[in-house]
Amino acid sequence: MRIGVLLLFLIYSFTGNAQTSRIDVCSSCKVKSIKDAIKLAKDGDTILVKKGIYKESKLFIDKSIHLIGEDYPVIDAENKTDSVIAIKADNFSLSGFKIKNIGMSYIKEVAGVFISYSKNFTIKDNIFDNVFYGIILQRVKYGLIKDNIISGNAKNESSSGNGVHVWKSKNMRIENNTVSGMRDGIYLEFVNNSYVSNNTSKNNIRYGLHFMFSHYNEYHHNEFRENGAGVAVMFSKHIKMYFNTFHYNWGTASYGLLLKEINDAEINDNIFEQNTIAINIDGCNRINYKNNHFIRNGWALKFTGGCYANIFEYNNFQSNAFDLSYNSRLNDNKFEANYWSEYSGYDLNKDGIGDVAHRPVKLFSYVVNKTPETLVLLRSLFVDIINFSEKVSPIFTPDNLLDQKPLMKAINSLD
Amino acid sequence: MKKIISLLILMFFIFISCSVEPKVIKYGDDHCFHCDMTVVDKTHSAQYVTKKGKAYMFDAVECLTMKINQENNERDLAFILVADYITPGKLVDAKKATYLISKKIKSPMGANLSAFFDKKIADEYLEKHGGKLYTWNSLKQHFSK
Repeated sequence: MRIGVLLLFLIYSFTGNAQTSRIDVCSSCKVKSIKDAIKLAKDGDTILVKKGIYKESKLFIDKSIHLIGEDYPVIDAENKTDSVIAIKADNFSLSGFKIKNIGMSYIKEVAGVFISYSKNFTIKDNIFDNVFYGIILQRVKYGLIKDNIISGNAKNESSSGNGVHVWKSKNMRIENNTVSGMRDGIYLEFVNNSYVSNNTSKNNIRYGLHFMFSHYNEYHHNEFRENGAGVAVMFSKHIKMYFNTFHYNWGTASYGLLLKEINDAEINDNIFEQNTIAINIDGCNRINYKNNHFIRNGWALKFTGGCYANIFEYNNFQSNAFDLSYNSRLNDNKFEANYWSEYSGYDLNKDGIGDVAHRPVKLFSYVVNKTPETLVLLRSLFVDIINFSEKVSPIFTPDNLLDQKPLMKAINSLD
Repeated sequence: MKKIISLLILMFFIFISCSVEPKVIKYGDDHCFHCDMTVVDKTHSAQYVTKKGKAYMFDAVECLTMKINQENNERDLAFILVADYITPGKLVDAKKATYLISKKIKSPMGANLSAFFDKKIADEYLEKHGGKLYTWNSLKQHFSK
């Protein structure tokens, strides 16, 4: 019985291969529009679209076909509020197109490419220009989104969509894309077991990358710059964050990384440079922070809400206005063997570890938390004096909030 | 004369700054008082203003409701406003609005909750997309579970 099924499958796949054909689309070809080509195509076929401008939208694909653009043919949606390509099929690919001018809608989700209920697909090497949503994925699995350039012209308005918007999916890979000028660069909601790597996400209104209710995901080697906030990870478990760069996320609501209700995460080898708040930590437990660089931020770490059993080891805190800001008198987090540029102790036995423990919390940060306007006093002598006196005899900071083994030299210094 | 004018101007500003009024939400700039997300969605934003005149913004109606439940501070609020789903950017009285939780209409914090000023339109959306309607009070109860 099993052999029979196997044989049938072999015959099917063989004949399937044998029959696939290629359909060319161009202004002088037999087939002049992509829509017609899709109608003609069978499972496994390739549609090759030659260079030119195609004013089409509402292309619906329900077959396993491969759409390939030659020299980036342009699909111009002329600001219509329909998704340009909507796909509901398995084993398909789309590459080499330039899709532009997608209209804005408050109520509908309008995208360059809208994929739902699909698996095993590739969206590669496309340019999305002036789009509302770039790529929307719903209830899909085993998809690869690679080498795409997505840009919107979202201004200070809320009337913008996300670059890559993934909802209720799993096993996705999002690699090497450049996303700019959207609401969120990449947004994952209810997405599990996925990878986001080597992307550049910049100038987005809200977040470069955004996780909501998504578990067991990993993002690494991405760059997030000049977004409303770099990355937001919210209500998610088991997220790994490696080798990312978060920089120049400035502004009143700006974070390099916003963590809200996160458990069991790993945050290693990241660079946080010049953000208003490098990491805002709200209600997060059992997170390991290792070998991260916090350089010239307003706040390196800002704790709000209860955070328990977090471990900070071998991180560099260099030239931040505040290394750490804390909101309670209790501390259940461990700070050990970090480098603090503020550390003023000494190392007499020359073992590379400071002989005096370091208290990373400045008293003044409590004052600023209560009354943000006092920030103008930051560099004043009086503030220096109260910070110093608090360091010598702590009253407000939790007694055990100190680094017992502060390092004398930065680890893996970036200079 | 000059003094009087400057005094008047001063009075004017004092008056302005003391009045208890809803504030315009700066989309993309303000952040949510409950969840810290940047407020961007004109169809789901919300706001409350305390009797002392301080306005707090929310990125979603569910955030507003949960915050009010948490703080139990409805008595101290002068205004509770939610965005009308069909007229983006327009804030309406939360107590008069009708709420729809429908899987077909997504909201920023995942509760699939939208507010409608007009009950008739809420009914239409209910018919079209399915789900369940709530009043302000039943909505608060829904989130207090």
